[in-house]
Amino acid sequence: MKVSMVRTLILRDLDRHRHYIALSIVGGVVALALIQVGGEAPTILGATWFFISLIVLGSMLPISNVINERKKQTLPFLMSLPLSVIQYTAAKMLSTVGMFFVPWLTLVVAGVSFIVGRRDIPNGIIPVMMVAATFTFLGFCVIAAAALISESEGWTVAATVISNSSYGFIWYLLMRNAAIRNDLKSAVAVWSTPIMTALTVEIAMIAVILAVTFYVQTRKRDFV
Amino acid sequence: MMDLAIKLNGVKKKYRFFTLDNIQLRVPQGQIMGLIGPNGAGKSTTIRILMGLVHQDQGEVQVLGHRMPAEQVAAKWDIGFASDDMRLYDSMTLEWHMRFIRFVYPQWDSAYAQLLLKRFGLREEQKIKGLSHGQRVKATLLLVLARRPRLLVLDEPTTGLDPVARHEILRELTAVMSDEGRSILFSSHNTQDIEQISDQITFIDRGRIIDSMDKETYLDRWRRLRLEVPAGVELPALPGIINIRQNGRLAIATANVFVPDLANAYENSGARVQSIENMTLEEIFVANVEHSREEVGV
Repeated sequence: MKVSMVRTLILRDLDRHRHYIALSIVGGVVALALIQVGGEAPTILGATWFFISLIVLGSMLPISNVINERKKQTLPFLMSLPLSVIQYTAAKMLSTVGMFFVPWLTLVVAGVSFIVGRRDIPNGIIPVMMVAATFTFLGFCVIAAAALISESEGWTVAATVISNSSYGFIWYLLMRNAAIRNDLKSAVAVWSTPIMTALTVEIAMIAVILAVTFYVQTRKRDFV
Repeated sequence: MMDLAIKLNGVKKKYRFFTLDNIQLRVPQGQIMGLIGPNGAGKSTTIRILMGLVHQDQGEVQVLGHRMPAEQVAAKWDIGFASDDMRLYDSMTLEWHMRFIRFVYPQWDSAYAQLLLKRFGLREEQKIKGLSHGQRVKATLLLVLARRPRLLVLDEPTTGLDPVARHEILRELTAVMSDEGRSILFSSHNTQDIEQISDQITFIDRGRIIDSMDKETYLDRWRRLRLEVPAGVELPALPGIINIRQNGRLAIATANVFVPDLANAYENSGARVQSIENMTLEEIFVANVEHSREEVGV
């Protein structure tokens, strides 16, 4: 029986990158443990580390899973298999996004649970954390799209630089909003209009980027 | 009519600085076709088109009865493809690759894979990055051959190999052909390899097929005539003579369709035929390319 090539490729990519995924989850958990220590410095360091583990994974996966296929000339090996361009694109998108999504979700759930479990950290921080975490997912999607569409290391590095340098900017925009700033100290999570708008825009952008990437990829005529 | 493993009809692909133009290529089933061309001739582009990896701008491509690139998935179940610019995953072992290919291809022949491991002197547990170039080529071929494809498409597989490794690989390819249903398209600029194993030969240069026929016909038809030309004698232009190089009283005529009457015609013109020599495939290839370039005014 002929197995599903998309599933086979996804499993193969997962197998090749399992160490990256495990390392990023360990990195995030260590960051949360650091926050658990308490005190201002460990908390700031832990929170930074938490997001860095997501950002680093989001930057590395597209390079390793997409760009290196071309750079290290393994793409002809893959494309010699009974595989169409659409199947390859679907497999690459699903595996790249999936390999990021699993540790991302794990760490976001762990982070939220951590905040909820700590009495000294106000739950009001959760919505902002969700916007920031979703932004790391958006940043990852930008990098993955650049990698898949351009297949160029240069463009992917450029997308990584733009994406990673925008985290500070988005944080600045969030903190400029007085309502969001005030809600940070609230004992309960406040899902205000600005927060919901930011989340909606991020999710919509993620959907558009992934759809455009898939569309552009499937229209390519030359593959190696 | 003989069944064709590969059929390219009027295929064209235009790039900014290179055009593959009006490619006609037929590989009968059960035959080994050698595709010979200098670097940049269009061998790899032709092969990528017939594998569906690059889409032609014009023309029809059929591989094992499947239209390419539209039916490439169906076709590739029965094609084993290896090329000089194809790499395996450096950080993974050969065993990982074998497992992966076995998972994809139900017809994977584990016993044959084990036999090839021994013949090629490879170890499953070795990581690809620890293999020499020759071992990597052998590993790639093992992955291709053990899936028992009906058609092998090999783009410069022997480039950069030492003579022993080349011999091992060519021997294995010849063994594959003991199954009459199998076909091979083998590209190279090494005419020795092609001459050793091919039934059919196609020459390609600057994006055009310049000649294509079976190997024995090439070797039978092409001759080099060494002539002594006395002063005052002018060599006649004869059909089948594609090139004459004269230096004083000595001339060398190259015939692409040799018949004994050519020698008689030169004798009758007053020249003396010193010798009629067979040509190697490399000499035929070079003469063919030069003749083709002269014809198109390059």
